[in-house]
Amino acid sequence: MGELDRLAMYTQMVRIRQYESRIMQEYHADKSPAWDIGAGLIPGEMHLAAGQEPAAVGVCAHLKKGDAITAPHRPHHFALAHGVDMNKMTAEIYGRTGGLCKGKGGHMHLFDPENHFSCSGIIAQGLPVACGQALAFQRKGTDNVAIAVTGEGAANQGAFHESLNLAAVWDLPVIFVIEDNDWAISVPKDASTAGASNADRAAGYGMPGVRVEDNDVEAMYEAAGAAIDRARAGDGPSLIEIHTLRLFGHFEGDAQAYRPELATVNERDPIPKYAATLQELGELTDDQIASIQADADAEVDAAIEFAKASPEPAPEDALLHVFA
Amino acid sequence: MMRNASVGIIANPASSRDIRRIVARGPATTTNDKINSLARLMEGLAATGVKRVVSMSDAGGIAQGLAAIAQKPSASHWPDLDFVDQEITHGPTDTISAVRSMRSQNVGAIVVLGGDGTNRLLLGETGGTPVASISTGTNNAFPRHDEPTVVGFAAGYVATGAIDSSTCTYRAKSLGVMDGTQVMGALVDVAIVDGDRIASGAVWDARSLREIFLCFAEADAVGLSSVGGHLRPTSREEPQGLHIRLDDSSPVRVTVPIAPGLVRELGIASVSTLEPQAEIRIESEAGVISVDGERSMRFVSGTEISVSLDTNGPLVLDVQRAMAEAANTTTTTKGEDTHG
Repeated sequence: MGELDRLAMYTQMVRIRQYESRIMQEYHADKSPAWDIGAGLIPGEMHLAAGQEPAAVGVCAHLKKGDAITAPHRPHHFALAHGVDMNKMTAEIYGRTGGLCKGKGGHMHLFDPENHFSCSGIIAQGLPVACGQALAFQRKGTDNVAIAVTGEGAANQGAFHESLNLAAVWDLPVIFVIEDNDWAISVPKDASTAGASNADRAAGYGMPGVRVEDNDVEAMYEAAGAAIDRARAGDGPSLIEIHTLRLFGHFEGDAQAYRPELATVNERDPIPKYAATLQELGELTDDQIASIQADADAEVDAAIEFAKASPEPAPEDALLHVFA
Repeated sequence: MMRNASVGIIANPASSRDIRRIVARGPATTTNDKINSLARLMEGLAATGVKRVVSMSDAGGIAQGLAAIAQKPSASHWPDLDFVDQEITHGPTDTISAVRSMRSQNVGAIVVLGGDGTNRLLLGETGGTPVASISTGTNNAFPRHDEPTVVGFAAGYVATGAIDSSTCTYRAKSLGVMDGTQVMGALVDVAIVDGDRIASGAVWDARSLREIFLCFAEADAVGLSSVGGHLRPTSREEPQGLHIRLDDSSPVRVTVPIAPGLVRELGIASVSTLEPQAEIRIESEAGVISVDGERSMRFVSGTEISVSLDTNGPLVLDVQRAMAEAANTTTTTKGEDTHG
């Protein structure tokens, strides 16, 4: 496990938060009518990961060139933490030709071959893909790993169990990361899942399963580091479930009337909490907080400008670069 | 004497899921295993005539699972099952508020399902109520590995007054960590660890250990107390504890299971007896204090930290002694006396 760089982790969390906050503003800026997801600058549904930064940052701090991530429909935090270009990613979200997929994928279909990053709106779809990537790493004899990210609701899908089984049978260098934010859209976990912790399910496949409580980035960093070291060493797959927080709605426009704990959400925001820890340790000053925020603001604003300046696809190109 | 007896249950939904499952092949006691353990406990309690059980509430699925089983026809003979009406915080205060409620309801015994960390939360909370512990954590020394059904018998016999609790209980020792006033307590060990990380909590990097204070040290233990167990076994009931200083350059070496499946060789600088009430100042200037295997508090240069041993821990129900007492007093038999 490498050296813990707290300032880098804090900076990455702030960067992600600023991105999600600005995308939220942009998404709603010109929706008319508000419920028309096809209207406005950013078309389609939007699932933002504010509050879930510790999951992505704790894992990605251990990754290196060639490691792969498959993310679900809420992918921005893992994409940014894994080094996906913010400009190209933003252009893709805006549906512009300068985007990762020339504007034809949108925010749930960010594909970045250079960084081995992909995501999908189909629940649990990324898990078999991660197993395939891990198999390729294993056959090539590299020490790269694949990270398969999904939510707690997806752990009831067949693809989740098939992937754990296959990873265990073939001893694949894959780490399953479950972001338990308590809500599968509007369904609470206890109404849909037999067993309160998906970390326990790993035992059925003979792999270690750890649950990280409290949305704690350093606890996630330590658990992910142990799992990734294990996979790189050839000791096989692991599962990590983090109890995280969905700070915003399931999708933008979600009024969240189903959510009884909504009033306490902001109190549980992991970023101010981590800032307080770093200040207590003497590793973060007020000036640094301001400058990290200013850097994040500038980078995100520049990415949004890049996206807006990128042309929309021409109608005659509708059938280019697509399949099926 | 048969009282209208009740028993309390504390069950920690978070135990046994920490990083030791990866770094030390720690056992996986699942939520369903915990629910099944409690169901077996209920059978033992029912067999001894316990009328009512008060269980902690939780959001981790244990209370929900136990309540579901209690509704089934096969559980119709169980004691009445009630849950503490408490706010769920997902933290240690859930256990503490549940114990306080149980004591206010005069339960005759409390059964704890969890690891060392769960039992530690009972410090100063259980008074004269006997406590029986069932191990579910990843790395435990305090709870013994007793079958829950049998724990149910033992707790039931004590709670109903079928046996005298003084024959089968002892007062556990505890360790206090002070920086002027007591800030934390432990039932098994306090360790001083290098660095400033609390992170996942669990102590599994042996190189980071500087000092270990132990309430007891059994030769067959796993975890930090195994260091003392391999050097100078110290029982749970004698008044003294142990204080060990570690130094990787020391020629005195000991190889111990620092966690399940994780065996490490440690250099030992000194081993000394820890007398009750003696305040021992720690040597490290800065670092992290771990209590019962969990990194819990950072301290910085200039903080004077000391540790002392006390003999005022929970009143522990010794299941083996309780069952022997029950057999010897014919509590376990009906009909003719078979002791002749």
